[in-house]
Amino acid sequence: MTQDELFAKIAARFPKIEKAAVPVKDYLTVRLPSKDDLLPLAQWLKTSGFDYLDMLTGTDFLGPVDMKGYIRQQNFNVFLPDGATPEIESAATPGYAYKPVLDLLWSFVSIKERARVIVKLEVPRDAARVPSLAGLFKTADWQERETFDLLGVTYEGHPNLVKILTPDFLQGHPLRKDYAHVKDRFDD
Amino acid sequence: MGMILEKLPGLTKGLPGGELVLTTADYLIDLGRRQSMWPMTFGLACCAIEMMASYASRLDFDRMGVIPRASPRQADVMIVAGTVCKKMADPILEIYHQMPEPRFVISMGSCANCGGPYYDSYSVVKGVDRIVPVDVYIAGCPPRPEALQYAVIKLQEKIKRMSLAKEGLATPQMEKGSRPFGA
Repeated sequence: MTQDELFAKIAARFPKIEKAAVPVKDYLTVRLPSKDDLLPLAQWLKTSGFDYLDMLTGTDFLGPVDMKGYIRQQNFNVFLPDGATPEIESAATPGYAYKPVLDLLWSFVSIKERARVIVKLEVPRDAARVPSLAGLFKTADWQERETFDLLGVTYEGHPNLVKILTPDFLQGHPLRKDYAHVKDRFDD
Repeated sequence: MGMILEKLPGLTKGLPGGELVLTTADYLIDLGRRQSMWPMTFGLACCAIEMMASYASRLDFDRMGVIPRASPRQADVMIVAGTVCKKMADPILEIYHQMPEPRFVISMGSCANCGGPYYDSYSVVKGVDRIVPVDVYIAGCPPRPEALQYAVIKLQEKIKRMSLAKEGLATPQMEKGSRPFGA
């Protein structure tokens, strides 16, 4: 089954789903119009051969923000003469499309067909809520906990959505671009 | 104590009775301590691979009396091999407290010394000496197995200077330079 045939099958069933502008590697990458389409698509993929959820993750597309509240000295440069102002390196790169969204990603694999479908969904950063796939795929359980821990995405319907990697006293979600570290008992 | 001294037969021959050796208690106890330093078996990151290489047959840690133990209650020395995450700090502290006195700590690699490449990370303790007192630091990322063995030799030299009369059962951790526990 080629990618075009596969996409035709998906598009016949879910007409609102379209191909992503930038594919992940050379896999078929589709973009969901809304979070309500995730569960039906995942259910359909599972019954039609794509019964292996490879991984799920996300990316924060907010541009670089000021490094406030962290131990690192801003633009520490030993070669700078005394009194000179260091240039601010943490500004957004001009021309690059930064946007306040979290780009979530699911990767479904069909071992029988030797094919892979990447499903992408953009959610707003301040209301990152998507349905959980933990009821369909056992893999989703811990990976959704990890994404929740590091990016702050709430997976609705997850049986046990608690932190999995970071210690209990860590405030915030470290992989968010605007994460500001709160000093704990191990810091100076 | 099950020790065989190199020149023991020659020494005892000249003694009256031939079965008696006179030495100081410090020498005897320090000899026993430094020639049987049993580390706790645990590794935290890639430095642990080098630690395993030191245990293996090519570099053979056993010839120095370093035999890894599976329980902290049988261990004398803790080799902190790798990055100490903040989540792992409490288990390390627990292991350290379960080890019997005198206990020694070797901090292996840049991460355990000062945080290494993770010096501004949100999840890494910037040096294991913030939670336990350290006797010997090894630089490197990761240090070679020879460096670890050199650290053990240095620790043996440190133990050699320990004395029962001074500071009781003092451990080298009490020497200046180590941070007080609980800091």
